[in-house]
Amino acid sequence: MKEQIARYIAGEILKDSTRVVMKDEPLVSSGLIDSFSLVDLALYVEDTFGVRIEDTELTSAVFDTVEQLAELISRRRAGVVE
Amino acid sequence: MSLVHITVFGLVAALISASRNSRRRGWGLLAGSVLAVYWLQPATPVRHFDFWLPTIALALTIFVWVATHRKTSFSVRAEILTALVIAVLVLAVGFTRYLTIGWHLTQTRPPNALSILVALIGLGLISFLLLWIRRKSQLGLWLLASIILGLFIITKSDPLATWVSSVARVWSGQLPELASSADMSWLGFSYIALRLLHTLRDQTTGRLPALSLREYVTFVIFFPALTAGPIDRAERFVRDLRVARRITAIQAVEGVTRIILGLFKKFVLADSLAMIALNATNALQVKSSLWLWVLLYAYAAQIYLDFSGYTDVAVGIGRLAGFKLPENFDRPYLKPNIVAFWNSWHITMAKWFRAYHFNPLTRFLLRRKPKLLPWMVIFLAQISTMVLIGLWHGITWNFLAWGIWHGMGLFIHNRWAAFLKAHSHLLPPSLRSSRAVKAASVLLTFHFVTVGWVWFALPEISLSMNVLGRLFGM
Repeated sequence: MKEQIARYIAGEILKDSTRVVMKDEPLVSSGLIDSFSLVDLALYVEDTFGVRIEDTELTSAVFDTVEQLAELISRRRAGVVE
Repeated sequence: MSLVHITVFGLVAALISASRNSRRRGWGLLAGSVLAVYWLQPATPVRHFDFWLPTIALALTIFVWVATHRKTSFSVRAEILTALVIAVLVLAVGFTRYLTIGWHLTQTRPPNALSILVALIGLGLISFLLLWIRRKSQLGLWLLASIILGLFIITKSDPLATWVSSVARVWSGQLPELASSADMSWLGFSYIALRLLHTLRDQTTGRLPALSLREYVTFVIFFPALTAGPIDRAERFVRDLRVARRITAIQAVEGVTRIILGLFKKFVLADSLAMIALNATNALQVKSSLWLWVLLYAYAAQIYLDFSGYTDVAVGIGRLAGFKLPENFDRPYLKPNIVAFWNSWHITMAKWFRAYHFNPLTRFLLRRKPKLLPWMVIFLAQISTMVLIGLWHGITWNFLAWGIWHGMGLFIHNRWAAFLKAHSHLLPPSLRSSRAVKAASVLLTFHFVTVGWVWFALPEISLSMNVLGRLFGM
């Protein structure tokens, strides 16, 4: 899952498929992903992994790295109530 | 907030958090916040408005809680007790009417006790009605959101505020011809409205945490953040509220230091700069372009020091009360682009509009068929978000122009960044990270923001255009 998300970010958001996005690399707080791309990423997650990330959750406080996003998806899939 | 308000709030916050008993702290924060809503409300020429406006803010807060609350560890009895405590506090504020002048908590003499009692009974009945509606449908949520939005628009629009004031004047036996929009100056409602709308929206998406009435009311009208934010989120605030421990010496020093820093920024620096900062009067008096720039730089410094000074005071008092309120500023004038500026200027408000307007609109536009081109989605979302942020300050042409100015700035920056991404050879990363390019970016961003203040500082488009022309020697 982490590799899949990292590939999407590199190829579709950063438009550089050769770029390696590290799993612990800050995405939101560093400004690497802008607010428009963050919504785009949320829609990708929704379509690919079948879990919804709310509009209010698109902040670095909820997830900032590929690893944290993957954990959030796993928790949602397992039905963990937060 | 005056110096007296800040001193009293600091002492009350420290006193409350010094208590060993967490329940006592909870009640102290609630009572302090309820009384502060009345104490901070400025006088208005309409009779008893300085009592009824805070009461309406409180009533709306309770109504939203009734419409959104979920089961908590608090019993129904505890919730009723909270409602009664609030009612008693409101009555107590009203009873100061019978004390001699100077002992009223409100700026003018409160209305008579009977009318307050009747209003409280009415509010209680509306709460039961909302509870009943809630069992049947989500109508209550929509109704409350519409009322809050409607009241917000009234307070921000001069003609609407004047009209409501003239109706209120007729009601209270005063001359409607003297009505003015200033009659509707409702302290803190801009912030209260955003907190209420956030909880109404989060309820519909199931993201709202379970909060007791006491916790919710304290969150919405928390006295350090009542005047000028920050606009906290319920789930973050309640974490601090529930784990609030006795204040430590370090926290006390942190809080007091932050308050002193805020007072210095607001009352020494910002108030001194206000004497030469750009305004409608001096904009016409100054003839030379150079002096106009001086006035504008002074305004840019003043607005930052004034607002961030207030935030320092709020965060400092919050610290004394055992809270770590979110920051609103992060060296905004030292940012290399306009996106970074908006991530560091009035941060909590920008986050609110991103969460409740930009993100849902972008989601909708990306999902719709036929698909729009990405740049169209970005344009629509950025311009509309900044226009709303502009109008949140007041429904005037100038705030609209200020919003469009920043929306266009964000859009142009977005396109420029996309262009650089696609043509990285034009500006290699080594050159981009050079000190000279960074310094030029900071200077350019600062001047874009500073020139934009011309729309914000002046009341009319024609005057703003005139000043902009003269700034650039035209």
